[in-house]
Amino acid sequence: MSVETMRSIGGLTPDGQVDGVGRPNQAERAIGSSAGSGFAQTLGDALQKVDQIQVEADGQAEKVALGGGNLHEMSLALEKADVSMRLAMKVRNKLVEAYQEIMRMSV
Amino acid sequence: MDFLTALRISGAGLGVERTRVNLATSNLANAETTRTAEGGPYKRLDPVIQAVAFPTELGEAQLTNNPAMKAEIAGIVADQTPGRRVYSPGHPDADAEGFVAFPNVNPVHEVVNLMSASRSYEANATAIDTLKTMAQRGLDIAR
Amino acid sequence: MKLFDTTLTRLQESLDVRLVEHNVLAGNVANADTPGYRPKEMDFAQAMASAQQAQGADSMAVTDPSHMGPGGVTTIESASRATSAATSLIHDGRGTSPSIDGNAVDLDRTMAGMAENSLQYGASARAAGKKLAILRYVVSDGGS
Repeated sequence: MSVETMRSIGGLTPDGQVDGVGRPNQAERAIGSSAGSGFAQTLGDALQKVDQIQVEADGQAEKVALGGGNLHEMSLALEKADVSMRLAMKVRNKLVEAYQEIMRMSV
Repeated sequence: MDFLTALRISGAGLGVERTRVNLATSNLANAETTRTAEGGPYKRLDPVIQAVAFPTELGEAQLTNNPAMKAEIAGIVADQTPGRRVYSPGHPDADAEGFVAFPNVNPVHEVVNLMSASRSYEANATAIDTLKTMAQRGLDIAR
Repeated sequence: MKLFDTTLTRLQESLDVRLVEHNVLAGNVANADTPGYRPKEMDFAQAMASAQQAQGADSMAVTDPSHMGPGGVTTIESASRATSAATSLIHDGRGTSPSIDGNAVDLDRTMAGMAENSLQYGASARAAGKKLAILRYVVSDGGS
């Protein structure tokens, strides 16, 4: 990170002026907003989708169990559910890892 | 109703068909036998097949009047219809009037029976094969 | 806490009922040459509905939420319940027009039905295995 970037994050503009007292500058504002709703929203949406895929697979399996349904549709739905769940698990493990990494940092 | 029941039913079916094959071949082999131990010509043999309710280990035969049925040979009877009589006075088995009684075996009938029994035998064998496939799939759940 | 959902129960029931159907068909094949024999039949959809009802009949009303149920439905009990429900629905079918000896079994149709039944059994088994595999994967923290 260049010196200019570090100064602007700290509230100081490149020419040394403080960018208002207590008023977050553009960089801080940008970081603040993405750390709050953006990522959490994306994660929540993704988990919703994974759940939907699981429910869809359940529906297909029940249809086949009752004698109707379509064998290849059921197989595809089940496989999608499997893959999406594995991906979700991997993401979750990475998140937990990242969290633990951060907590381990000595401040 | 479980795998063992199905296996026993199909196995019994195989036994029945095998008996039919044996009897058909015995009839064919003796199509010209004019002398037997009991006296008189060979009489063709017929199997008597009956369906028997199959009791299962869980006693489910009592649950319904129509359980799965297995087949079994109730007995073997000799066909008493007289065979053809041929006038042949010089034949060692000729009777007082010079007629020889031949067995009541019609080779065409016996061959048809043989083919039918063979087809049914194959069907029962396929049933056992299907059962084995199902059992393997069932076990795969816990793989 | 419900670990196994209704879909798994449905799949279990379908496996039991399909096995009963195989027994019925195998009995017909074994009796393909029995004089006067009329083939047995079982309606699959009806049997599934009956099995589903038999499962539901298990729940008893409790006066206090902390009371235990009637022992719960173990896998062994539910298997025999679905099987019994299906078995009690076996009836004499019409069969094909009987042959000279009175036997009404259509061997070809029966064998085709057996093949289809086996396929559907395999599909249900595969689905059940897959669902449990996903569960196993999640439970073991992605370690399969």
